[in-house]
Amino acid sequence: MVSRSEVLSLCRAMLRAGRQYPHYNLREYTKRRTLDGFRMNKNLTDQSKVNEAYAEAKAQLVVLERSVKFHSLYPPKTKNIMEVKLQ
Amino acid sequence: MASLSTTSLSFKAPSTRISQVLRKGSSFQSVTFGRFTSSTSKSLRLQISCAAKAETVQKVSDIVKEQLALTADTPLTAESKFTALGADSLDTVEIVMALEEKFNISVEESDAQNITTIQEAADLIEDLVQKKPAA
Repeated sequence: MVSRSEVLSLCRAMLRAGRQYPHYNLREYTKRRTLDGFRMNKNLTDQSKVNEAYAEAKAQLVVLERSVKFHSLYPPKTKNIMEVKLQ
Repeated sequence: MASLSTTSLSFKAPSTRISQVLRKGSSFQSVTFGRFTSSTSKSLRLQISCAAKAETVQKVSDIVKEQLALTADTPLTAESKFTALGADSLDTVEIVMALEEKFNISVEESDAQNITTIQEAADLIEDLVQKKPAA
């Protein structure tokens, strides 16, 4: 039985994890994809489907954390053009 | 004087902050919020009682407008609830994340779940920004 607050906590945890990527593109993608993913399933009513989606997202969170650690070993050498402030 | 009596109440901000607010008051820019455009002493009193600077509230409102894609002339006050502006709980999570990034703070789970209005968000931010340099 997954509650609303658990789902929101998971969303927050994923967003926080994604923020730690040193790469601009991975950060942005993670943010976009998690929000899209949660929004896509936000109107589910069947509790078993909700639990399924929650379990899937939890597994993805584990993958995400591992991926962040790995990508942090190889940070980009230059700043991404999108991160450079407009002069 | 009214402002002195409010400082003697158990308001948690240290005296240095209030003196900063007092100094700020003289060069106060008028903001779109009705209650902050009044005379200096009145706006100071209101600032102290609201426990959040008007510029923080303004920054929060800007982020909210951007996240919820509101038009520039949507009426937005400090007491606006996010749900009234058309945000669902996921939007609120996104807004809190954006605020964390903007102000470089970290909001706890329990705090994040209780934010419903712009004023609450601004108060929490002020609180965290104050605690941060001390840590």
